[in-house]
Amino acid sequence: MSAAVNRAALLVLAAALLAVPQFLPLLNAGFWTNVVTEILIWSLLATSVNLLFGYVGLLSFGQALYFGFGMYGAALAVTHWNAGFWGGTLAGIVAATLMAVVAGVLAVRLTWHYFAIITVVFSLIFYFAAMSAKPITGGDDGLSFSAPPVFDAFGLKLTLADTVTQYYVVLGLTALCYGLLWLILRSPLGLRFEAVRENDRRARLIGINVYLCRLTAFILAGAVAGLAGALFAFFGRYASASYMFYHVSGEATVWAIVGGVGTLLGPLFGTALLIVFRELVSTVWENYLFAVGALTVLVVMFAPRGLAGLWSDGLAKLSGRSASQPDPQAGAAEAPR
Amino acid sequence: MLIVEDLKADIGRVPVLRGVSLKVAPGETVALLGRNGVGKTSTLRAILGLLRRNGGKVSYNGQDLTRIAPYRLAKLGLGYVPQGRGIFPLLTVEENLFLGLEGPPPADIVEALYARFPRIAERRRQAAGTLSGGEQQMLAIARCLVMQPTTIMLDEPTEGIMPKLVAQIRAEIGAVAKSGIAVLLVEQNLRTALKLATNVYLMERGQVVHEATPEALKANPDIVHRYLGVSL
Repeated sequence: MSAAVNRAALLVLAAALLAVPQFLPLLNAGFWTNVVTEILIWSLLATSVNLLFGYVGLLSFGQALYFGFGMYGAALAVTHWNAGFWGGTLAGIVAATLMAVVAGVLAVRLTWHYFAIITVVFSLIFYFAAMSAKPITGGDDGLSFSAPPVFDAFGLKLTLADTVTQYYVVLGLTALCYGLLWLILRSPLGLRFEAVRENDRRARLIGINVYLCRLTAFILAGAVAGLAGALFAFFGRYASASYMFYHVSGEATVWAIVGGVGTLLGPLFGTALLIVFRELVSTVWENYLFAVGALTVLVVMFAPRGLAGLWSDGLAKLSGRSASQPDPQAGAAEAPR
Repeated sequence: MLIVEDLKADIGRVPVLRGVSLKVAPGETVALLGRNGVGKTSTLRAILGLLRRNGGKVSYNGQDLTRIAPYRLAKLGLGYVPQGRGIFPLLTVEENLFLGLEGPPPADIVEALYARFPRIAERRRQAAGTLSGGEQQMLAIARCLVMQPTTIMLDEPTEGIMPKLVAQIRAEIGAVAKSGIAVLLVEQNLRTALKLATNVYLMERGQVVHEATPEALKANPDIVHRYLGVSL
């Protein structure tokens, strides 16, 4: 039953996301199309945190570094090499992935708080480097650029200046990214990630190269954060070193935890909840971050497995099973692995 | 052949192994016996490189294991069934079984394994954490066999298992040994150890203090009483 409900919910979510640019303007809320676009982009950064924390048990506070590399990769490729939208996006992903290879080779030798600290240290080093390399990065002022068209052939020109086109491009790339991650996480590599998260020593003793598993996850997470950064650069037509600061990583970590780590779509729900909350509360209260903090504390205390955990517990109760019993069949349908 | 020569290891500043030497030849079942805390589990952990060795040598089929990473040992044919089973409770039984393999499991291995462990086959789609203790132990042994080891090391395989399942696990270990796989068994249950072993090492304070066949040990109850604190 849970599997069928999960499939139905996934279809409803897909339909709702596809209908956003048509439906919201009818409610005179066209502005929210851009908010949903932003949610989709940021959810990728939260997903990169989740890939590390939820699947291989490494808590990173430095994913903003790869987000920043994604932003600058795209911005510099467009401004200096006249790369188009797709070339810029690819450049962002490649820049972030290469940075993740360099940092990951060193960082994944460590675990727990040592790992968290080294990820913050890397992030800070490159944040200050980007801030001081003003001729290249623009420092705190950032780099502004004009977004190239997404498609320009056969007399058809699609540009990001059109909110609806921008939304569907971001939705398409985000969905593609989630789809690829779903395939990876349910493959033997995904199982190995879980084995490493559950007990790295046991994993090692049955022949799993734990270091390589962690490094692979780290590089994948870097690539996902890079895609998020590239899309955000095109969304804002701007790249700034300030997005490499660790408070951006911290926010992504909170989104992932609130949504539910170890589930594929949890970070999307967490990001959506907290960004919508921010949009609603920040208009009436400038210190809205206090409320975000309180909400996060409440979720962590009363729903430690996040929104995705609440959802699967609710389904388990509905189908008459104990929520505490692990059910791999339901888990697979929920698409966490 | 697994050869351990004068193996030494510390935990922090405390020496736990003070020169352990033993041999496990192909087809042999070797039992490592001793009271609690004498270093039996530490010996296995040091052989596997999970405990930092600070002296001595471990070799397997002529290959020095000093610089071999623990994850490579399974591929060299050295299997390990840890104390407490070491299964992954949230993964299914089937996922646990084939996790260590690179690529899909060969059909003949899967078939033979399920024929040998019918309870495991029945529950292959179930989360491993929902199995009973005995079934989890079977799963741990089966998972080790999937890697087609030539030697397996079992750390207290009957610990915490229902008495009626102990005989089943003992029979399974016996069958593994009969199939030609060498077995290094750490066991508190003296009856189980003496039934299965072809050679026995007794340990005290991080050292092997006596080596004998099970028959010789049965004929010498004083030794058993002195080093194990029990009577036969």
